[in-house]
Amino acid sequence: MAETEAHSEHGHHVISDKVLVQTFVLLLILMIATIFFARLPLDGPKYFQGLEPQLRGFQNLWPLTNAIAVGIAIWKTFYVIQNFMGVKYSTKLVKLWAVCGFVGFGLMYIMFFDYAGRAWEPVRGWEKEPSTAFPRDRVTDAGIPYKLYPGTEEEGKKE
Amino acid sequence: MAVHAPTLDPDAPVVYEQYEDIDQQQETYIVGMWAFLVTEVMMFGALFFVYSLYRWKFQEEFFIYHEHLRWDWAGLNTLNLLTSSFFMAKAVQSAQLNNSKKQRKFLWATFACGGLFLVIKAIEWIPKFQTHLVPNNTFHWPPVDAPGMGGSPEHARIFFSLYFTMTGLHGLHVVIGMIAIATLALMVKFKAKPITDYIPTEMVGLYWHFVDIAWIFLYPCYYLIPK
Repeated sequence: MAETEAHSEHGHHVISDKVLVQTFVLLLILMIATIFFARLPLDGPKYFQGLEPQLRGFQNLWPLTNAIAVGIAIWKTFYVIQNFMGVKYSTKLVKLWAVCGFVGFGLMYIMFFDYAGRAWEPVRGWEKEPSTAFPRDRVTDAGIPYKLYPGTEEEGKKE
Repeated sequence: MAVHAPTLDPDAPVVYEQYEDIDQQQETYIVGMWAFLVTEVMMFGALFFVYSLYRWKFQEEFFIYHEHLRWDWAGLNTLNLLTSSFFMAKAVQSAQLNNSKKQRKFLWATFACGGLFLVIKAIEWIPKFQTHLVPNNTFHWPPVDAPGMGGSPEHARIFFSLYFTMTGLHGLHVVIGMIAIATLALMVKFKAKPITDYIPTEMVGLYWHFVDIAWIFLYPCYYLIPK
């Protein structure tokens, strides 16, 4: 995007109309792209009818379309922060704060390992804990035999 | 209050004693606002994290539930909020250039967009109250107007709890933003004492852009779930 040289009487940067309009138009294009990719019938049964079996292997594309949607949202956010919020023209300290908020948000997803990794590290005696969104009985879903818990009641029953 | 750099211009913003100059003072205001926005990111972030977990677990069912939401109305609201962000950026620009008439015009345009957002949100929400999709003791799944819809009622309750919590919290932010914008526009009109430069407009603008960013993520998360 084109930079501007306009400054107000106190010396701060004034973002030009050109940059603001370009950003707005880009945001609208990205909004349309989000809708287009999300509603693309990539996995509809009709769409895949008549395709070769090896191509049908790509039917389940929701992880890809999810990634596209999130990617576009991040892209839009970047432009809003840079040009509408003026971070592009701000001091390094402001940039640091702007970045740390979103990096902190990303770091929160480290907690996913607790849920994703439960089946990898079963806790003895917790097999009968009440189910949560991610019940600990996923150890059997993951194909790990119950003999990992020698001495428990379940030993040998579900192998 | 003592000042470091007294100026002959009576309308110039006062530089308070703890600051070296006006630039440092203004930077401090902006950094303070960003620090607040970081806490906002963490608050919405926790909800997005919970949403991600359930979406990961119940992707197929979430697709079924999301079909009961109106992506077209929400899309119109996305367009509306992006436009409001543009107006807000123009209001900040006008404030920087000391054009208070233009500044007020764009502030009220942003306010109007906020109002339109709430109207569209009401159009979207009211049928959900009528069809018992609000997760209280009257919650009912499948909905009375679409009895054939699949998915378990328990997971539907999770979906709609998250939906109403997150879009409701966002709606609350829109209301707060509108109050801030209207207050600012009136203060500018009546040349209120605290308005000595563009910084108050910049602060409100940063808040409003954050509200826009939150919606940028909410829209695909709830209304555009792929199959």
